[in-house]
Formats: sequence, C-alpha cells, structure tokens
Amino acid sequence: MGFFDNQPDIQHIPEGRIEGIAKVTGSGKYAAEYKVNNQCYGVLVGSSVAAGTIKSISLDDAKQVAGVIDILTHQHKPFVPGFADEAKIKEAHFGLPIFYTDKIYFKGQPIAMVIAETLEEATYAASLVSADYTIDKANVDFDKSHPGIAASNTGKERGSLDSWSNVPYVTEAEYTIQNEVHNPMEMHATIAQWTSDDKLKLYDKNQGVNNVQRTFAKLWNIPTGNIEVISEFVGGGFGSGLRVWPHTFATIMAARQVKRPVKLMLTRPQMFLLVGYRPASWQKIKIGADSNGQFAGIWHIAKHSTSVYENFEDGITRITRMVYKFSNLKTESAIVPLNLSAPTWMRGPGDCTGAFAVECAIDELSYQLKQDPVELRLKNLAIEKDPENGKTWSTNFLNEGIQKGATMINWKNRQPVPGQETDGDWKIGYGMAVGMWGAGRGKAGASIKMQRDGTITVRTAMTDIGTGTGTAMQNIAHDFTGISKNNIKVELGNSNLPPAPSQGGSTGLSSISGAVVATCEALKQKLAGYASLQNDVYKDALAKDILLSDTGISYKANFISYASLWEKNNLDLVEAEASSGPGEERQKFSFCSSAAHFCRVRVHSKTGKVKIDKMVCVVDGGKIVNEKAAANQVSGAAAGGIGMALMEEQPVDTRYGSLVGNDLAGYHFAVNADSPIVEVAFINKPDVNINPTGSKGLGEVGIIGSAAAIANAIYNATGKRLRNLPITPDKILQA
Amino acid sequence: MRPFTLSKPSTISQAVSGKNEAVRYIAGGTNLLDLMKKHISEPDALLDVTTLLSDTVQSAPKGIRIGAMVRNSVAASNSDIRSGFPLVAKAILAGASPQIRNMASMGGNLLQRTRCPYFYDITMPCNKRKPGSGCGAKDGENRMSAVVGYSEHCVAVHPSDLCIALAALDASVIVTGKDQKAIAIPFKDFHRLPGSTPEKDNNLPENAIITSIDIPANAFNKNYAYLKVRDRDSYAFALVSVAAALQLDGLRIREARLASGGVAHKPWRWYEAEQFLKGKEATQATFSQAADIVIKEIKPLSNNGFKLPMLKGAIEVALQNCLTA
Ligand SMILES: Cc1cc2nc3c(=O)[nH]c(=O)nc-3n(C[C@H](O)[C@H](O)[C@H](O)COP(=O)(O)OP(=O)(O)OC[C@H]3O[C@@H](n4cnc5c(N)ncnc54)[C@H](O)[C@@H]3O)c2cc1C
Ligand code: SF4
Repeated sequence: MGFFDNQPDIQHIPEGRIEGIAKVTGSGKYAAEYKVNNQCYGVLVGSSVAAGTIKSISLDDAKQVAGVIDILTHQHKPFVPGFADEAKIKEAHFGLPIFYTDKIYFKGQPIAMVIAETLEEATYAASLVSADYTIDKANVDFDKSHPGIAASNTGKERGSLDSWSNVPYVTEAEYTIQNEVHNPMEMHATIAQWTSDDKLKLYDKNQGVNNVQRTFAKLWNIPTGNIEVISEFVGGGFGSGLRVWPHTFATIMAARQVKRPVKLMLTRPQMFLLVGYRPASWQKIKIGADSNGQFAGIWHIAKHSTSVYENFEDGITRITRMVYKFSNLKTESAIVPLNLSAPTWMRGPGDCTGAFAVECAIDELSYQLKQDPVELRLKNLAIEKDPENGKTWSTNFLNEGIQKGATMINWKNRQPVPGQETDGDWKIGYGMAVGMWGAGRGKAGASIKMQRDGTITVRTAMTDIGTGTGTAMQNIAHDFTGISKNNIKVELGNSNLPPAPSQGGSTGLSSISGAVVATCEALKQKLAGYASLQNDVYKDALAKDILLSDTGISYKANFISYASLWEKNNLDLVEAEASSGPGEERQKFSFCSSAAHFCRVRVHSKTGKVKIDKMVCVVDGGKIVNEKAAANQVSGAAAGGIGMALMEEQPVDTRYGSLVGNDLAGYHFAVNADSPIVEVAFINKPDVNINPTGSKGLGEVGIIGSAAAIANAIYNATGKRLRNLPITPDKILQA
Repeated sequence: MRPFTLSKPSTISQAVSGKNEAVRYIAGGTNLLDLMKKHISEPDALLDVTTLLSDTVQSAPKGIRIGAMVRNSVAASNSDIRSGFPLVAKAILAGASPQIRNMASMGGNLLQRTRCPYFYDITMPCNKRKPGSGCGAKDGENRMSAVVGYSEHCVAVHPSDLCIALAALDASVIVTGKDQKAIAIPFKDFHRLPGSTPEKDNNLPENAIITSIDIPANAFNKNYAYLKVRDRDSYAFALVSVAAALQLDGLRIREARLASGGVAHKPWRWYEAEQFLKGKEATQATFSQAADIVIKEIKPLSNNGFKLPMLKGAIEVALQNCLTA
C-alpha cells in the first residue's frame, strides 16, 4: 500500500508537477476556497478621495441590509496592542495603520469593512457605506514631481565623473517606465479564525507563512507559535505576497470583533490598489567608452514613486554596479512620495527597471561605436570578480550565456545598420540584453516522515507559488535518498512545518534545497542507527555511503528491509528534521544568476504593431533540478518581459488623484498571442559553493533585461529609439 | 451589486410589457453583470431572454437573419455566415475572448456599453453614466477615445467589433417595441452620436427588445478584411479597427465598404472614401488616397493624435488585404 495507490500516475509523466492534478481538478485549495465552520464574510470599502481626513462615515443604510453583522471603521475596531498608540504604530513598521487612522493617503484606502453572513450581503452593504471628508490636495503626478526631488548617492562612487569627461564615445539618455501591477491570477484572500483568545489560524495568500506569523505575533503580542498560517496552494505572486498587507490585518481584526471566522477576498479592482505594484520610474544614464569600446564610466540616476505613508526603495541602480567593469561609476537615487498606495517588489524588482535603462544605453553606445552589442558586452563583463566588493564570483557564466544565445537566435543575420531588413510592411530587427541577480540563500528547515512501507513525506513551511518548489523538493529527495519519486510526497505552505524563508527573490530553491539534502542525510543517519542494532557495520556508516531504496536500507552491500527494521525496532513513524543555511562561503565568494536575452521582432511600419518573432533566453541558474519547471519559470518571466516592454501600464489621472481603470480588460499583460514559444536554454553547471545541490535561483533573471532586448530590437528594426515603456503602437508611429 | 429579481418571460409580448426603466433584459450577461457589479446599472429586475429569443441563423436569397440570442461564437462558426458574410465572422473573432464569445449574444453585443475607464468608475465624473457630472476623458486619459463625431459632453467610442462589420454591410436591427410591432432599424441609424445626451447610446425605442439582425445578401464575401490594431494581440479593445470590403471587376472597384471602430461613439462608415474608391483601380496608390480622405475627417484629442497615422495605415493595409483574402 503506497500513498499514491489511488492517485493518477502523474509522477510517471516526465518532470510533471506533483501538485498538477490537484490544481487542474480543483481539489487543491487556495486560501479563499476553504470553508471554516461558522465563517462570515468581509468586504472592504475604499475612500473616494485621495487625500484628506475622514469627517464622518455613514453606516445607517449599510446596517439595514439583512445579514450584516458589524462594520469596522477607525471609530469601531478591536484593540490591537501593536497599534496601541502613535509610537507603537511607528515602531510596528506595518505600513498603512488600517482602521487606526482617520487620515486618507490614497484613493481607495480602506475606510471600513462590512462583515455579513454572505458575500453578497457584505458586498451590497459595502456599496452603501459613504463618508464625508476634509479634502486635501492630492499629488499623484510622478512626472511633475520627480524633478523637484534631488537624488543622492546609492553605494560608493568608484573613480570620478571627471576622469572620463573626454572619452570619444558618450551616450546620455533618459528612460521612463509607468506603474505596473502584479495581478497574479489568484486574488489575495484571508480567512482569519481566532481559535481561542490568543490563538489565531489563518488561511492566507502570501509567499511566506513564517513572515505572516511573525508580523501578527508582534502586532497582537502573542507567541509566534500561537499563529498557524496555511498557504498550501498559491496562485501566483510575482512579489505581491512577499509582505503582509493591511487587508489581512483587517480580516483578523474583524474576526476578533465579531468572534467568528471571517473570510475576505480582494476584488480584482482592489488588486490594483492594495497589494503593491512596480513603481513608475525615471532614469538617466550617461555612459562612455574609449574607441576600443572599453567602458570608461557610467553615471546612473534613478527615481521612482512611493507612497506618502510609507517609503519603498526598489534598488534600481543595484544592477549597474554588478554586471560590467566600470572603473568610474556613480549611482544615485531618490524616491518620490505620492498619494498612491505603497508599491512593492515585483518580479525582478529594481534590477528589471535598472536593466532596461542600462542595457538600452549600452545598445545606443554600440551603434555609436559601430560595434556589435554582443562583442561590446563580452569585452566589458565583470566575469571573474564582483565589481562591488572584489570577491570572486563563485560561478558566473554570463559570457557563455551570451554566446549560446547569439547562436540560438542566429545573431549573425542581424543587420548592423537599423532599418535594413524588411518583409512587406514589416521591418525586422534583432536585439539583445542581459540580466543578473544576486543569488541569495536563506536558512531553511525541512523534515521527513517515513512510513513502514518506505514512503516518505518531505515537509517545509516554505510556500510554492507556482514555481515548482514542491516538485523540486521531491526531485532532490529522490536524488539524495534513492527512493523513487512515486514514494515521495511533499507537504508545504504551513507554519506548523519546519520554518523556512519566504518564496521570493529567487532564493526559494537555493534555500530549501540545502534543507532537503540535510534532512535526507539526517534520515539516513537515523535509519542507520536503528540498523546498527541489527548489524554492527552500520555503526560507522556515514550518510553519504548509505543508500535507500523503496524497500530498504543498504550500506556496503548489507541490506535491511524497512519491514524488518520497523519490526525489530517496533517503529511507527521515523522522523528526521534538519535545517541548513548559508555559511562562510558568503565571505569568500559572490553569487549571481544571469540571463542573456535575445529576440527578433517585426514592426509594422503602417500600424506600429510590434510582433515578437523569436525570443531566446539562456539562463545560468546553476544546476537545474527540474528542467521543465525551470524552463516554465523562464518562459513565464520572458512573457512578463514582453508585457513590460510592449503593453503593461497603469495610468493615473493627476486631476483626480486616481488610477484610471482597474480591470484586466484594460490593464494589458501579454497573452499567448503576444508571445512566441520562448526558447529557453540553461548553462546547467552546478555552483558547488552555494548549496549542496549547486542550483541558483532563476525566477527573476528571466525578466531582467528582456524589455531592453525588445526595445533594442525595435531600434534595430526601425531606427527608432524608444526609451519610454511600454512601447505601444502609438509611440512607434509617433517616434 | 444591488439585489434584484430575476424572471423568464415566455413570450416576446410578455417580455416587452414587463419591461420598464428599472428593468433590464439579460442575455449573455457579459456586459450587464459587470455594469451591475460596478453600480453603473442598478436594475430592480432582470428579464432573462436566453430561451425566449431565437438562437438560429436563417438564410434566404435576399439575405440572412441572425437571431438575437445566437451566441457570438456560434455566429462566427456558422457556415452560412462564413460563406456569405465572412466579414462578420472575422470581426466577431477579433473581439473579446473565446469564453466571452461563448456567452455573448448577438443582440447584447450591439448594446454593450463603452469601455471608457471613467464610465466604469463611479468615483469619476462621466456624463454618460451621470449626466451633468462632466466628462473625465475629454481632457484626461483619452488615448482610446474618439477622433470623430464626439461632442464636448462625451468622447467615448463604441467598443464592438461585430458592429463595424454590420455597419459596413448595411445590416438592420429587428426590434419589437411596447406596441408589440416589429420594426427594422437601419444599422447606420441604430447607434447615436453623443451630442448633449451621451447617456443614450442608441435609438432602440424605450423598452423595445432586439429579436434579430438582418443582413442583406451581398457580394462582399470575396474581397474583405477586418483589421484590428490593439495594444495586445488578443482580448483587447481596438485602438482603431477597419472593416473593408470590395466588389471587383478585375482590378476595377465596383463597390466599396469601409467602416471603423475605435474612432467614434458609433460604428463609423467612411462614406466619402467609399465613394472615392468606386470605379477606381485597386492599387496601393488608390488605397492611399482613400486613406487620406478618411483622415481629413478626423480631429484627435489631447492624447490620441496617433490615431491619425494609425488609421491611415490601417485603412491602407485593410484595403490591400482585401485583395489577398
Ligand atoms: C473583458 C471583455 C472584453 C471584451 N472584448 C470585446 C472586444 O474586443 N470586442 C467586442 O466586440 N466586444 C468585446 N466584449 C464585449 C462583448 O462582446 C459583449 O459584452 C457581449 O457581446 C454582450 O452580449 P451579452 O449577450 O453578454 O449581453 P448582456 O450583458 O446580457 O447585455 C448587454 C446589454 O444588452 C441588453 N440586451 C441584451 N440582449 C438584448 C435584446 N435581445 N434586446 C434588448 N436588449 C438586450 C441588456 O439589457 C444589456 O443592457 C468584451 C467584453 C468583456 C467583458
Ligand atoms: S467620454 Fe463619455 S463615457 Fe467617457 S467620461 Fe466622458 S462622458 Fe463618460
């Protein structure tokens, strides 16, 4: 009898996702799909003004609606120790002090939460809540505001600006990107249940259960262990679930207030307002080279928007300090507070924005120099050492990635002079750019439960937001134990399981892989301990020499079946737990993942339409644990890059302090029709220093630089240099 | 959404007599439900017409009659429509998504409301939604808005693709009004320009129901094209669209039809350009001149000046595509 006796045989499909069947059949539950006994429903009401103070809130009509249980406002809410006074609120660093302020910082800011027996009743009643405000002047105008805010150094200046003032080739240009919104398919949702006065259970959409747990333990002043967070299935995040948002807090307050479990699912319009976005940015780059194309220096200034109630720093210039050798470098940045909700990390945060400017500027320089942009980059890469700290890169195969990508796209067919290749009304061009991301790793824990029949369950608190983490854990456990994949189950996304960092910043696999390997070894050691009672040779057995199979353990040809091991030792479950994290290697080395992006585009000279003909992405993500899941990550990121380059844009109306539009009919991200099948290749060489599996994260690099590759290809096709994203057909026609 | 009652009239006369200001017909619901969720339409009652109205396509020598309840996806794959009126099928398939087309009815498609983002947000001014509140788009985010036929009160465009083909092919809308009489409204008179009453999208008599759409037999089924320029290649409304159809004698143009979406408050026919094309040779130069005639008519707003070159290009390409269809 195995765990999978009654389950479809998904494990035999090569590289298939362990949760695939559960997802497509709907048996896997996302946060909002749980039903908790006696639950009621919350719906948030947003402010209709963008700045000011609430004078009064009128709840009478809403309270008349059948089924309404209560309505939270800043005048009616439970006591939260972490928000007890102004000082505490400051100290909490939570962001918007929801229901603990009468100030309005942005339009749509939650001012009330209606709690009712059904979602329909709560939704209807919420529409009847209205408020009076003292209205202040709101500012949501990034373009007009950023010139008034001076930038200051981020990171140490290298060399000086003066020293390259006379180089023969200099490109200087400004680049802008509009607000972009994550919009994962699953809307953010929370079910909050106080199981006792100081014990809380949450079904929640997020990218890190332990982070949620810690945040609320502090705010409610209860032990971390009293909070259980369940996020087993997460329908995408792109960074929107990396922090804890006010709506989750509001749901917990509501559950406290009405003493019942409360469920809240954000509406799609609220997804544009309450869970972050990539902030609008303005950048200026000055880059110079000598006549050989050796980079002489770079000056990068970056500004982006933030909210007035909370500062967010995206880190746009980080990538400028990382990829190339610049003996002279100055990076500056500033944030521009606006009456909009707080932005947050969005896939490839900071670097994605920075790479657009830097990689376009290098392309511009290449045309000035009349040098091939591939050659120009290869010449200037900081391939051996991290230019920021002088440490040796543990591994950096960006040069190989660039060369491989150039072959895959047939770069030799590119015309060095723009506008040369045509096909009827279409102009054809090639472009490339690179992306890099610091390969991080956090300390993570895992455990394994083994049954008498030899099946194991590998467990961790880490979430799998669609990245394939669970599948990778199974694959690694298979590689490091020898137990067949069919006999390995995975449990994750629950704070009762061994703690792990959030799934984000391309650190998930790197962090959890070490923990899984350590736990596999702990399991082997534990089994060897039992085995040694039956056979002395096991006394000195080291984990690395022990083999497990579906039926038993062996060491130096001494096989003992699980059945006999269990019987002799009177075992029920064997459990092993271990954790693993970064160590001294971080002192010695720098770590990076990278990607080389290439594309061929067609631009219609009469309609301005851009079609991506071919897109190639070569990624150095260390050892690839599961090629299908990894390629899936990269092609998804590349499609994100197409969206960023060609269509993603959340407009604001500066007159009304408002977003314009808040649905997926109007907010365009790329769909299948916009994307060719992305050709993904991996360097697939292990980074032996980073973790026991040698795999580096690759979730971000697939999007870092891809928008620049597309913009560069559009230039190659048309001779039009478009520095403002997104490059919609109107901009092509008017350039 | 505001609570409402739902009923299913069993005859057209019952439907029409049960209808008043506070009552709406509901067909596929793909537009109406969104409007209700966003509190733009707040009816007391809905009359479900999905089983009441015809869902068949009837072909006759003088033309084709498409039941109001024929789903968009069904119409697009109907063999009579595909052979006799392929422009209609092409236009439908350029719209929305497969899922929406599976639900959307032909009648409902005509009555879908503008996608102007100010119209969809009740915290914003909008004369169409709330007469007298002002037009948010006119001096605001009007990249998608009209370039012809607008007024100071409203600059919205009609979002349908299907309707552009129907306008080009001189369809008529068959409706039954309160007086229980069926009348035919020529397509060109069906939708309105905003003038000072942008709250009115069309001339459907109050409380009347659409029962079918008629398209007269024609010879525009060989040389036709529907070109939709949009920000993304599927599931996006038009920046501009062009329905073009030609009847050719060799290379000579006998008859031409030219209509556009994404330019006006109603499906817009370019009559002057059609007239110009008549009798000319179907060459690039002719098409380019026709496009020049079109763009003479248009007056872009603050943020949609691009529609001028885009329309010129799209018309040239659409006419050219007629030759290879
Ligand atoms: C996200 C999205 C994208 C879309 N993209 C496009 C696109 O690109 N191109 C395009 O053309 N369309 C597009 N559509 C619009 C879609 O085609 C329409 O919503 C659909 O055709 C409406 O038909 P329905 O049957 O669902 O109408 P309903 O929503 O049921 O009704 C719409 C209106 O018509 C009235 N009505 C319905 N039937 C009758 C009748 N027989 N007589 C009188 N009144 C009636 C209703 O009372 C209501 O006022 C899109 C829609 C959505 C939601
Ligand atoms: S263009 Fe028309 S629909 Fe849009 S805001 Fe103005 S009045 Fe409303």
